[in-house]
Amino acid sequence: MKRRDFIKYLGAGGIGTAMGIFFGKNTKPPGAKLIPYLVPPEEIVPGVGAWYSTLCAQCGAGCGIIVKVMAGRAKKIEGNPLHPVSRGRLCAMGQAAPQGLYNPDRIKGPLKRAGSRGSESFMEVSWEEALRTLAENLAGLKVKGSAEGLYVLAPPLRGHLDALIRDFTATFGSPNYLPYDLFDNRNLAFANAVSMGMESLPHYDIENTRYLVSFGADFSSTWLSPVNLSYGYGQMRQGSPGVRGTLVQVEPRMSLTGANADEWVPARPGTEGLVALAMAHVIVAEGRYRGREARQWRSLLEAFSPVEVAKVSEVEEKRIERLAHEFASTRPSLAIGGDVLSGYTDGVSGLVAVNILNHVAGNIGVKGGVVPNPVDPFFSAPGRDFTRSISTVRDAAESGALKTLLTYNANPLFTTPDNLRLRESLDKVPFMASLSSFMDETTAMADLVLPVHHFLEDWADDFCSPSVGKPVATIMQPAVSPKYNTMGAGDVFLELARRLRHEREKALSGGTEILGEFMDERFSVKDFQEHLKRSWRELHAKDRRLSGGNPTFEGFWNRLLKDGGWWPEGAPMEKGPAVRVKDVAAYMPKGASMFEGEEAKHPFYLMVYPQAGLLDGRGANSPWLQELPDPMTSVVWGSWVEINPATAMKLGIKEGEMVTVESPYGKIDAPAYLYPGIRPDTVAVPIGQGHRSYGRYAKETGANPMDILPSLQDKGSGALSLNSTRVNVSRSPKPGWMVKIEATKKEYGREIVQTVTPEEFERMNKEAT
Amino acid sequence: MSSIFKRIKDKLADYRRPGYYKEFDYHWAIVVDIDRCNGCEACVVACYAENNIPVVGKKGCDDARIFNWIRIEKYIEGEYPDVRVKFIPIMCQQCDRAPCEIGCPVYATYHNQDGLNVQVYNRCVGTFTCATYCPYDVRRFNWFTYKPDKPLDEQLNPDVTVREMGVMEKCTFCIQRIRYAKDAAKDEERRVRDGEIKPACVQSCPTGALTFGDLKDPNSEVSRLARSRRRYRVFEELNADPSVIYLKRVMGNGKRSHD
Amino acid sequence: MGSDRTIEQIPYEDVNADVVRTMTETGRLYYIFLFLSMAGVVVLWGLPWAYQIYTGQGVTGLQTPAFWGIYLANFIFWIGISHSGTLLSAILFITQTPWRRSIYRSAEAMTFFSVMTASIFVFVHMGRPWNFYWTVPYPNQRGLWLNFMSPLMFDVFAISTYATSSMIFLYFGSIPDLAAVRDRVKGWRKEVYTVLSLGWRGTDAEWHWLTKAYTFFAVFIIPLAVSVHSIVSWDFALSKVPGLSKTIFAPYFVVGAIYSGSAGIVTLMIFLRRGLKIEKYITKTHFDKLGMLLVVMSLIWSYINVVEVFTGWYADTSFETESLRYRMFTPPFSYMYWLMIFTNTVMPLFLIFRKVRRSMAPALIISLGINVGMWIERYLIIATSLPRKFHPYMWNDYIPSLVEISITLGSFCFFTMMFLMFVKLWPSVSIYEVKEDIGIPFRTKKGHH
Ligand SMILES: Nc1nc2c(c(=O)[nH]1)N[C@H]1C(S)=C(S)[C@@H](COP(=O)(O)OP(=O)(O)OC[C@H]3O[C@@H](n4cnc5c(=O)[nH]c(N)nc54)[C@H](O)[C@@H]3O)O[C@H]1N2
Ligand code: SF4
Ligand code: SF4
Ligand code: SF4
Ligand code: SF4
Ligand code: SF4
Repeated sequence: MKRRDFIKYLGAGGIGTAMGIFFGKNTKPPGAKLIPYLVPPEEIVPGVGAWYSTLCAQCGAGCGIIVKVMAGRAKKIEGNPLHPVSRGRLCAMGQAAPQGLYNPDRIKGPLKRAGSRGSESFMEVSWEEALRTLAENLAGLKVKGSAEGLYVLAPPLRGHLDALIRDFTATFGSPNYLPYDLFDNRNLAFANAVSMGMESLPHYDIENTRYLVSFGADFSSTWLSPVNLSYGYGQMRQGSPGVRGTLVQVEPRMSLTGANADEWVPARPGTEGLVALAMAHVIVAEGRYRGREARQWRSLLEAFSPVEVAKVSEVEEKRIERLAHEFASTRPSLAIGGDVLSGYTDGVSGLVAVNILNHVAGNIGVKGGVVPNPVDPFFSAPGRDFTRSISTVRDAAESGALKTLLTYNANPLFTTPDNLRLRESLDKVPFMASLSSFMDETTAMADLVLPVHHFLEDWADDFCSPSVGKPVATIMQPAVSPKYNTMGAGDVFLELARRLRHEREKALSGGTEILGEFMDERFSVKDFQEHLKRSWRELHAKDRRLSGGNPTFEGFWNRLLKDGGWWPEGAPMEKGPAVRVKDVAAYMPKGASMFEGEEAKHPFYLMVYPQAGLLDGRGANSPWLQELPDPMTSVVWGSWVEINPATAMKLGIKEGEMVTVESPYGKIDAPAYLYPGIRPDTVAVPIGQGHRSYGRYAKETGANPMDILPSLQDKGSGALSLNSTRVNVSRSPKPGWMVKIEATKKEYGREIVQTVTPEEFERMNKEAT
Repeated sequence: MSSIFKRIKDKLADYRRPGYYKEFDYHWAIVVDIDRCNGCEACVVACYAENNIPVVGKKGCDDARIFNWIRIEKYIEGEYPDVRVKFIPIMCQQCDRAPCEIGCPVYATYHNQDGLNVQVYNRCVGTFTCATYCPYDVRRFNWFTYKPDKPLDEQLNPDVTVREMGVMEKCTFCIQRIRYAKDAAKDEERRVRDGEIKPACVQSCPTGALTFGDLKDPNSEVSRLARSRRRYRVFEELNADPSVIYLKRVMGNGKRSHD
Repeated sequence: MGSDRTIEQIPYEDVNADVVRTMTETGRLYYIFLFLSMAGVVVLWGLPWAYQIYTGQGVTGLQTPAFWGIYLANFIFWIGISHSGTLLSAILFITQTPWRRSIYRSAEAMTFFSVMTASIFVFVHMGRPWNFYWTVPYPNQRGLWLNFMSPLMFDVFAISTYATSSMIFLYFGSIPDLAAVRDRVKGWRKEVYTVLSLGWRGTDAEWHWLTKAYTFFAVFIIPLAVSVHSIVSWDFALSKVPGLSKTIFAPYFVVGAIYSGSAGIVTLMIFLRRGLKIEKYITKTHFDKLGMLLVVMSLIWSYINVVEVFTGWYADTSFETESLRYRMFTPPFSYMYWLMIFTNTVMPLFLIFRKVRRSMAPALIISLGINVGMWIERYLIIATSLPRKFHPYMWNDYIPSLVEISITLGSFCFFTMMFLMFVKLWPSVSIYEVKEDIGIPFRTKKGHH
């Protein structure tokens, strides 16, 4: 092997030993030495980058990445070219990951609350004290017999860290480990589960489709797996010579994906699902559906004729029919739904409708359609728990059942509607500890702050979902040694287990046994790195697919670290499930979705959507992402309200002027952006700005639409319904300014972006061949 | 007498010689397929990360001093509901007859053997001429000393100079990566292989809209793409002869037979 | 009435006395103005510039893509102002025009000082002015050389040549007068003028050689001056930027320069004759002639201006159209544009009337108006072209910052200061040439017959 190649993807064996990554109480800051390794390993050449493969944890997509490290510092992130999800590419958020690692507002050591709760006044404490405080609190819970008073809130993790936290909570005696993330595709998972019995999110094979209809899903910015799906999009457009897939976007506000579509269908908010059903109606009614239950489908879809749907959706009957014809006759075709659609009060119905459309067009389980992802038994991740959601936490806090709240990288105080009154309820929680790298809104409320490693400093793994039609496991390994006095998330839980075991021993010697069993050898490892390795050793021993090509575990482990994960080559596609009438009958929409607020007082629909780069607000502390012009509006460093120019003219609002957006639940102020790509009866505000805490770059930048949303939740999935209110828009006297990078929206006929019509394109292809 | 004129002519040709790179090994180019580009701006952040691009803050952006070496221009046509949006990534077009180059009095920006328009930060005295002459508005000026808040500076790429106040800068086609690859090729006594070099933006682009390579190699991917019938260059009529080649977006009139 | 007396009637002897008096006798008002202008240079120019050098060009209103602003407008404006002095002096000398004699000296000084003011703007405009010497060719070990293809490089040479030549021209023409001053003053002045007059004794041979050299320079300077402003125009015209890339720019700039320069002379002469009480030397005849010149220049300038707009409009490209629309019909530039048309095209037409030409107040208003208009013209060329370049996405409006405005005002203080110092240190009216104008009967020692 050439030395250069060797350096290109270093396994972590080298780092872990030679670079001295210390865990637990041994953690110490490396100081400000030029080359922070005490003993530089032979292969580390100053000035030459070493690349480490790991996992991007900026969003839930689970892209494999490689990190260029020079002199112990992370310099640049690229997609891991071997990784089937990222395919060597990266999105803007992934690129900005080092800005989290080196963020000036990172929490540098454990903190204990000094002032009143939420006052953000903390004092520095040692890890010893911090961990003791938490362990004693937990022991106290146990002693009082209220172990189930412990609630643990974390983003939906999918690997062995998830398993560890689950085990820890369960062993402690609490069933209350709740995954929470604003954009965790709960509705999509739920809709797929009820309509197709799918336990994992499928792979939407945009790459191979030739006709894609997206109902609100903005995969170009944030939806599901933006890098993978954008790759697919590029391939769909120009990946194979002469064949160019078509994209139709159905949504009231033109998203980035909508902007790239060949056709934008601005249906009335809350009727996109009806449009999908009307298309299905046409396909079934015209006898194009060849599957089972044809008669039942026909009668189920009876009510959703294009004529009827056209009345509510304001999409012409002819247009629905044409779309249905094109969708049915172009092979393969694919319908996807998400984002806006998923945010309606009956978001699940809308997503089920999309599944029905895919089913009747025969798109499920085919290449270029909905490709099911295998549920891998050996990863043994339990299915999603739809019965509990963030309101469970609120209710528990209200009722006093919640005694101790442990949050890990979760910031529900920013990402839930004010109307959910989480802040007020959490005030009643006796003890809150936050495992976080940043002083976000939730951490600011905590009694104890346990700063965890940035993901570029930590160990973990991930079984990504949605995957790409085959299992994909990604290893997260430290690319750099911890910069501050922080701990790995897994190490915190292991250390807590150790201390609780110790407490138990103490209690036992006192003659009473009240503490739970942390004797289990699962918890008696040195650190989480060990834990991870051991878990993989078990998988390796159990599964022939892993051990087949790699007889020894050490060999397998090294390859795992070098490649960045494991994914089998050429796995066969799973058979597609069918959508059954009886499963979906209960989810047929009764009409357009409901919106809070009366039309007279609140004449506009409010659409909220994750701002590209900021997602649920987590990107707001990165100066790069703040300064990244929003793809559609080019606004930087702030929020805006998208208003149709005709509406704005009626209201006397000019671009950049501050406006008040008022819902029945409150009002926010933000500058207006006149956007032709939005319905005149709709306004839109991005989510992500308006932090009250979260560091210098995020704080007091823009407005948070969560402040004015109702706290409606889907009864089935427990997901928040974000697009569920009407608002009024008026000019605001508040000061404020909008900075956008574009000078004008018009091209002035300068032919900077030149185009060919599809017909010309076809002619070109014919002539070329 | 005529020999003197000839000598003067030759001397002048030394100063400005379009096609200069043709005598050498490579002619780097980027092909941008705007039918693939979805405007996601991953390339923009990738360029920030690779090239130590400073952040100017809200005020700086308001003053139109944002440093994006590559930007995604967006143009909207038509009125609701027939709205058409077009995106185009614009970075330095590495013009062969670069208008910026004739402007610079001190040769701080000049043409190199690979057909690149090179910016020598140390030599720049900050006359702004190059930026004024550049038809593509890709040049950025260091109005102040921009320093990242500590410890964000630890992320700075040591392969790329941090520019000081008063100098001009712009997209370099990630020349540091080109240099690395050329050195490696030289060590192994071969040409740089097609696809061996990927500038940060090209590397990151999720949709595969950007392709980098050598136009002198007729079999390279860029050469292949550049022969596409969708090929065009922005403001071709200005005769700057850019090395960035665009492939036209396939786009109907937005109405798609409105039934 | 004294002011009606023609130059021919001034006694020969009085000329020497009068001119030396302008240099030696100084009123309070002079010192007040001198102090104010010096203070202006320090406060309005020096301090803001120091601040700008220390902080960066960011303290200006410059931005992407409006990288050029008021500094370059000032640069061109002052180069323009410089054009009439020396150029006019040289042309009138060669054509043996008699009314040249009493005004040419101060006009030449005006040239020199405005070139100085202009060149300083080159440095003010630079991002790294401490490296200014990189723009001149000097031998260096690094083997670095200059880009002789750059219009900026042309500038460096053109302007330094022009500054040097005008200085020499001014100096040569002054030698006999410096000797005359030498013979009339005492103390430190005597020593200074002894050195400056280079031992001039007024022999035939000296006169012979002086005339030869002077004529040579007069001939040399005319094409030079024309080339200088052509070259300055190429800074713009050789670009591709809409609004700047105009083939007509070279003549346009030269004409504009002479136009603004002549108006500058008029303004200056009005102040000079009042300030130094030399109404008998600078008479209404001068204003009469200069007024005619202004009318001619105004017509030529207006013609080119119309041509510029016409060709832009006729080209009918989005680039040209937008650039014209922005300049002519978008506030605040449209106000400035039409004000310029009023001051430079409409107002000078009043100079057709002999009465207007020969009265001071209208002449002052019109000449000042022309200069304001010419400044606006230069400002608009820059401030409305760069913000409307090729990419509409990048369009941005340029608004000068306080620093820029302050330095602009400071440059006027600088010019005033230099001129005020000049009139006390240099004979501002040519003694020997004025004498050539005086009628034979008056060439007696006492003057009266
Ligand atoms: N004040 C002060 N004095 C010092 C030092 C200090 O720190 N301060 N450092 C000392 C040290 S450590 C050193 S090494 C010396 C260095 O002192 P020198 O050896 O004088 O080093 P350079 O100044 O680099 O000059 C080397 C010369 O070689 C030329 N050259 C470059 N490449 C080639 C080549 O391929 N062939 C030939 N023939 N010539 C070439 C260069 O143009 C240059 O003129 O200075 C010492 N002097
Ligand atoms: S989509 Fe972007 S942020 Fe999410 S994991 Fe992939 S690279 Fe990271
Ligand atoms: S700003 Fe720098 S690179 Fe540009 S022309 Fe001036 S000196 Fe040359
Ligand atoms: S795009 Fe601009 S900066 Fe780049 S080479 Fe062309 S003229 Fe020069
Ligand atoms: S080629 Fe390199 S420098 Fe140029 S835009 Fe892309 S990343 Fe930036
Ligand atoms: S990364 Fe690629 S797809 Fe995204 S904006 Fe840049 S060029 Fe377009």
